[in-house]
Amino acid sequence: MIQSIIKRDGRVVLYDQNKIASAILRALEAAREGDASDAARVANDVQRELEGRFRDRAPNIEDIQDAVERQLMNHGFIASAKAYILYRANRTRAREANTTLMKNIDEITKIDARISDMKRDNANIDGNTAMGSMLQIGSAGAKAYNEMYLLRPEHAKAYREGDIHIHDFDFYSLTTTCCQIDIQKLFKGGFSTGHGYLREPNSIQSYAALAAIAIQSNQNDQHGGQSIPNFDYGMAEGVAKTYRKAYIRQLTEALEDLLNLEDEEAVIKDLVTTAERSSAETARLENTPAFEQAVANGLVNRYQITKQQAAVLITRVRKRAVKKTDRDTYQAMEGFVHNLNTMHSRAGAQTPFSSINYGTDTSPEGRMVIRNILLALDAGLGHGETCIFPIHIFKVKEGVNYNEGDPNYDLFRLSCKVSAKRLFPNYTFLDAPFNLQYYVPGRPETEVATMGCRTRVMGNVFDPNRQIAYSRGNLSFTSINLPRIAIEAGGDEKLFYARLQEMLELVAQQLLDRFEIQADKHIYNYPFLMGQGVWLDSDKLTMKDDLREVLKHGTLSIGFIGLAEALTALYGNHHGESEEMQKKGLEIIGYMRDYCDKKSQEMKMNFTLLATPAEGLSGRFIRMDQKRFGRIQGVTDREYYTNSFHIPVWYDISVYDKIRLEAPYHALCNAGHISYVELDGDTVRNVEAFESVVRCMHDFGIGYGSINHPVDRDPVCGYVGVIGDVCPRCGRREGESIPAERIEELKKLYPEMPAFRGIQ
Amino acid sequence: MTVKSENEKLGQGVGFERIRRITGYLVGTMDKWNDAKRAEERDRVKHGLKNNA
Repeated sequence: MIQSIIKRDGRVVLYDQNKIASAILRALEAAREGDASDAARVANDVQRELEGRFRDRAPNIEDIQDAVERQLMNHGFIASAKAYILYRANRTRAREANTTLMKNIDEITKIDARISDMKRDNANIDGNTAMGSMLQIGSAGAKAYNEMYLLRPEHAKAYREGDIHIHDFDFYSLTTTCCQIDIQKLFKGGFSTGHGYLREPNSIQSYAALAAIAIQSNQNDQHGGQSIPNFDYGMAEGVAKTYRKAYIRQLTEALEDLLNLEDEEAVIKDLVTTAERSSAETARLENTPAFEQAVANGLVNRYQITKQQAAVLITRVRKRAVKKTDRDTYQAMEGFVHNLNTMHSRAGAQTPFSSINYGTDTSPEGRMVIRNILLALDAGLGHGETCIFPIHIFKVKEGVNYNEGDPNYDLFRLSCKVSAKRLFPNYTFLDAPFNLQYYVPGRPETEVATMGCRTRVMGNVFDPNRQIAYSRGNLSFTSINLPRIAIEAGGDEKLFYARLQEMLELVAQQLLDRFEIQADKHIYNYPFLMGQGVWLDSDKLTMKDDLREVLKHGTLSIGFIGLAEALTALYGNHHGESEEMQKKGLEIIGYMRDYCDKKSQEMKMNFTLLATPAEGLSGRFIRMDQKRFGRIQGVTDREYYTNSFHIPVWYDISVYDKIRLEAPYHALCNAGHISYVELDGDTVRNVEAFESVVRCMHDFGIGYGSINHPVDRDPVCGYVGVIGDVCPRCGRREGESIPAERIEELKKLYPEMPAFRGIQ
Repeated sequence: MTVKSENEKLGQGVGFERIRRITGYLVGTMDKWNDAKRAEERDRVKHGLKNNA
């Protein structure tokens, strides 16, 4: 006869069968399987079981709950048993969460980021600073709350146990991932940052400064990367304004010098404006003979100069104005890059995660922007350091910049030279069929652009008339642990696909749940993103409207990690090892893409498939799987799972084969993808070889790619390149000092060498 | 973290910076990387330009 039980805190209390019956009733009702009399019957059997096992000893709570689970099953209340198990797991979780949260905050507070892996989960946040720690504490608290209160129990379980990973989980209830900011639209008429109003910019310097502010402002409204899809087109307008101003200034000065006049600027301004009106051309970099003729006529009419004098004057003025504009543009681009590497966002905890896309604007102004941003990237920061931000993306397009004779071919070549030194730009290929289908010449919004690590937005099931890159982005993404599904299938392909299907459905539901939270927000929650009309159609909303409909322009993405390990677990080899495995790999990823397409049609929303970047995830999943399954050769025997569909980094393969094998996955992963190849330092110094790799990517249908090579820098002598044990310039080893005179000698040899200030 | 030493030598204790691509983006120095990504970077092999297809 059971008389008492032991509670979790050790206290002994009287046994009360009614309490057990009412817990059972709640489970039965939740599953719609039974009523109070069923609950009483099950409770009776629970008591009988406990008496059999414990006689007159007191069972504890866990023992009783185990018995309830078993008796629900015995009575055939399977769904209720499941509901009960989940309820129980949730309660356990709630109890443990508080302790875990405090432990995490303790680690954030006390441990150096260099030895705390948790604090280095995102390499972009400095966990050692005050604001960085505050951000991490907030993040830990938000995660605990979101898991407990916002996730369905089955999603929480899948997330906690590593079947799936919900990215940016700390922001679950707060915002969306990323956006392509159309700066042309934003700058028109000026904009407000939420902390003050900025007039429409009037020179390339202010265009560039405002572009950085736009990125910074939007970074505070979203948790992911911010991107400008039309950097060249947008900045070109600033170049045109700077040129016009420089033209008027140079003309004024030249004329004042020639005729010994003063204060002619207002007159010249009028004269230029009149000439623009009569010639229907503007003062701009492009060859404008009619305009220049009109200016010459105006000068001859107004001043005592001959036609020949006017012609000489105009040629000289034009040359000087071009030079001045070019110099200003370089300085503006240099300032922009410096700005993005030093400016703070999120209370100073990180620099904005920023990308800029360019390469296809063939106007003289656009070309000037592209050349100068590349030159600024090439020069590096103040001490010659490689710039970390923004991510530069060069858009490659046949007929525009890919082949000799294309108007921007010279800039493509320059980009290769710069990337060979600085790792950027990356390349996006507009000729890949899945990008080309959206491309309309003369409409840059139809050119695919990239943001963050690899995110891409183009197709639009919600609004097929708006299949564009501008003003859209990802809403949220969740990744599937593919190797685990494969391991659990134990070589059974059918079982693998059945389980994969279940997981896809689970993730789609979770993304929709998250969407419901996002959809309930309003303009005032995102003063810049929505308040300034950065997001597509947000300018049509009023303060009362929720964001549901406009957010549907965004994407809900299902990601994955470890195709290579999944194939090895299922079939024994990965897709780098045989064509048969490549076929199997494409079947798996194709299956996932099909699911996304079907779900998109069903919901009239954009479900897309993502080749997940997996910075923190690569270690998280495999550590859990090692615990669960032990070390399986080729599957769980390393410290990381392979990124998305990549051929494993340790596998020996040629550039050509890596690109050939990975390219077809780019077509399938419409939410984003990237392939990179690793070159050694010598190859990279050969720009022809570098370009041939980019061309190989283009020709195989890669969507987005980049070339990795070691970029080392010795802060003491400023050498940038490959450094083994010894610096090739100054000859010192890591940590060693060299005589100050030696530095002076080197300075004579390398005049551009930055001064070493001793503080690094 | 050092300055000029007394006998006019420079660079004592100053390491080399090694910039690598972590996923799609770069990270300033590798001491900010998490353990798994560090291991991955260590394992990366160079890809030859020869076509061995």
